[in-house]
Amino acid sequence: MNVYSEAESTLNSERVLLRDVSYTYDIGLPQETLALTDINIDIRAGQHIAVLGHNGSGKSTLAHIINALLLPQRGTLSFFGCEPSNEDSIWEIRRRSGLVLQNPDNQIIGTTLEEDVAFGPENLGVPLPELRHRVDASLEKVGLLDLASRPPHTLSGGQKQKLAIAGILAMEPICLILDEATAMLDPYSRADFMDLVMRLSKERDLTVINITHNMEEALLADYIYVVYNSRIALHGTPADVFDQPAQLRRMGLDVPVHIEIAQQIADYTSMPLTKSEAFSCTGAAQSVHERLDFFFGSQENVDLDSFDSPAAQNLETEPGSLAAQNLEAEPDSNSPMNLGADPSLKSNDAELKQAPSTYDYQQISDPLSQNRKVLVEVKGLSYTYNPDLEQCVKALSDLSVDIYEGELLGLAGHSGSGKSTFVQHLNGLIRPEPGVVSVMGLDVHEKKNIRKVREHLGLLFQYPEQQLFEETVGADIAFGPKQMGLPPDVVEQRVKEAAELTGLDIKLLERSPFDLSGGQMRRVATAGILAMNPDILILDEPTAGLDPAGRDELLSYILRLQQRGQTIILISHDMDQLAGIADRILILKDGKKFALGTPAEVFSDEVSIRLAGLDMPNTKVFMETMQGWAPGLATDVFTPDDAAEALINEYRTRRQTWHSR
Amino acid sequence: MAQQIVLGQYVPGSSPLHKLDPRTKLITAIVMMILILSSYKVTSLAVLGVFVLTLIWLSKLKFSLIIRTIRPILILLIFAFFFNLFSGSGEVLFSVSFITIRLDGLINAFIITFRLIMLVLATSILITLTTTPTLIADSIERLLSPLKIVRFPVHEIAMMMSIALRFVPTLLDEMQKIMKAQSSRGADYDTGSALRRARGFVSILVPLFVSAFRRADDLATAMESRCYRGGKGRTRLKIMEFSYRDLIFSLFVIVVSTAVYILPLVFPAD
Repeated sequence: MNVYSEAESTLNSERVLLRDVSYTYDIGLPQETLALTDINIDIRAGQHIAVLGHNGSGKSTLAHIINALLLPQRGTLSFFGCEPSNEDSIWEIRRRSGLVLQNPDNQIIGTTLEEDVAFGPENLGVPLPELRHRVDASLEKVGLLDLASRPPHTLSGGQKQKLAIAGILAMEPICLILDEATAMLDPYSRADFMDLVMRLSKERDLTVINITHNMEEALLADYIYVVYNSRIALHGTPADVFDQPAQLRRMGLDVPVHIEIAQQIADYTSMPLTKSEAFSCTGAAQSVHERLDFFFGSQENVDLDSFDSPAAQNLETEPGSLAAQNLEAEPDSNSPMNLGADPSLKSNDAELKQAPSTYDYQQISDPLSQNRKVLVEVKGLSYTYNPDLEQCVKALSDLSVDIYEGELLGLAGHSGSGKSTFVQHLNGLIRPEPGVVSVMGLDVHEKKNIRKVREHLGLLFQYPEQQLFEETVGADIAFGPKQMGLPPDVVEQRVKEAAELTGLDIKLLERSPFDLSGGQMRRVATAGILAMNPDILILDEPTAGLDPAGRDELLSYILRLQQRGQTIILISHDMDQLAGIADRILILKDGKKFALGTPAEVFSDEVSIRLAGLDMPNTKVFMETMQGWAPGLATDVFTPDDAAEALINEYRTRRQTWHSR
Repeated sequence: MAQQIVLGQYVPGSSPLHKLDPRTKLITAIVMMILILSSYKVTSLAVLGVFVLTLIWLSKLKFSLIIRTIRPILILLIFAFFFNLFSGSGEVLFSVSFITIRLDGLINAFIITFRLIMLVLATSILITLTTTPTLIADSIERLLSPLKIVRFPVHEIAMMMSIALRFVPTLLDEMQKIMKAQSSRGADYDTGSALRRARGFVSILVPLFVSAFRRADDLATAMESRCYRGGKGRTRLKIMEFSYRDLIFSLFVIVVSTAVYILPLVFPAD
């Protein structure tokens, strides 16, 4: 029954084996849900496995089964030769496998870091000198030893997840299970966390099972299982799995941008991708070039000899860290890519230090400001948390920006850069001092204006589904308009409109919001804000924690709102998302305005983007890679569709110029 | 990451008070409570005041931080002060229409306020500010361990307390977040009619409870995954030792307690 059998190692004591495992929650009850059906998985010691799947696919249940927190109702689990048949073997499996959960706050038990790390070994009855040693060694391994006596709620999300790892290391496990452990982290913490996991798995020969819906993380794995509607729908090496973008998308997942573009070009030219051809960024670029070059019959000779095509070798080399993957996609200075055009790409330390503190592209040219109405005016805004305490945090300093009617302003910045503090100033949750915030002519500093301001400006917080409280979906959406004192018929009208806008079925309005799936709950929360009919809508990371399908759906209704002329401020960590839909992007760094301009302007200077602690959009990175084959290719495109179109046009034009010569 | 110091939160440090055995601190806190609640005489209260000042000094904490612990009971303090101020039956000091302030009322008002402040300061400095919740729970478990003989679930209760204390800052943060979110939707907590305000509180409480249950569920999973099977066979990272420090401190507490009872007898001034 082995799905993935390899001749060399057959010993069950060196693998995690799931045979025909099925699990159903609440059997016999009305809410009975099938979570896993006939799952067969075979993981060898030391392997790094990724389990992909949409929200609710059953992949978390899988983590619980492997950790012996749930026992298979049918089928068997053998965890390195250990079967959960009696109490002792169950505890043995839990001791040797560590589970990191999604929410960083909910898995910390101790009230200081060291107490938390000690919790596991204390339960195992590890005696004192050894216990102290394990705690210190584990904290040191994850880089938190300096904070050993701090209370955990003072840590950042990324640090909390590292603490969870330390707590597991102290139990000396052989297997690490990550159950969407990075879903609530920003890209930087995520890459940092995955680096730690990769390093540990190598050093300690840990088996890693990473349950995720992040495609970039999946690229780090040796082998991927895709769970769809409780079954394993697809499995293979990353190259195998990502060779099937259409199938992945059907399962609510997506593929990395470069594969997506390569696939579109392959479809356009009717020359299907060969196996693993587009797995690496350079491989994808080469496949695009070859197909378009052949399709348009261009004879123009790009100096391919000097370009060391790494596509083939890249497949052999182990995928590195997430950070390294991003760098890998950057133009290599030996390649004939047009570095001359953009001198800032040749960065060095000296240049970094000389870099200007603000890249306000709008000061040079601001075509938008000429004929647009200013809805929100922010001048000289500063804010400090806990000014009378030692650990005071300067969250904002001297921030000025105008927000125009009908624009979609993207707001980006590293964690703690002041994004949330900034938007809370806009609707008066924090009163500006010093500085001026005026929303549609209303000074937010005036207490009497705040109510009006909040009606003009809707703010949707992160994980908004956690604010739902009414008995029915309809009542929850109606809460805002009712508080505004609108007559019942208008409220009802508003609720219907908002539900429609967010794609909620009218039938759902009678249901309890707590019966809905996470994605649907988020729509209800969004509808609750939209029903107030705000002139300006602020969305704080609306797609955080959603799987790719949920994310795309949500983005599609943001776009619909934008087309209706809604002014939107969108906070996001996903640069591709921002660059793809924002009219302008404001980047904050340490509470200061770091850059402001159109996506093309803001992302024109890679050094500055990295300086702000952000990544370049993957689409742009791919287009820069393409410049190796198509020098002079414009790289200011930010969605895969636009990229494919730009590439097709570029190769078509080159063909025409060649002809006219 | 709101790094606000919230009420009753542990502040890391290495002061003499941080280093004391938590059992010593716990018992001292109980002794202090009894002393404060049973003292009415100015002399006794003065001794207790000096003792609390000594504790503040020993804790090496910032004074402003300690003062913050009073903030949550401010309304209670004001209420208690005025309630006592207008009562009494002694000499009239001041009288305008229906307001009459008498001497004994005035003295009582000050004494009550002072005692309440001392009570909060002593317990927060001795326990919450300088002892981690886990250690508090641990020391309760040890102090109550004789009760295990009568099958009293000492460990379970201590673990519950420890977890409850651990989640206080998390849930407070969450509450602030939910309040902000609901305010953005027009919820009102301090103005408007009683009904409107009640609705406002429902809009906080329901999400807070839902989230607390979800957290509890996750936490149970995390604890089981880390092999928690109750108190049996558990070892401890922090061992509690009654050291010379605790001895000196205990002697000091005995001296203070004696002084509190004896001084009013020596100086029966009031």
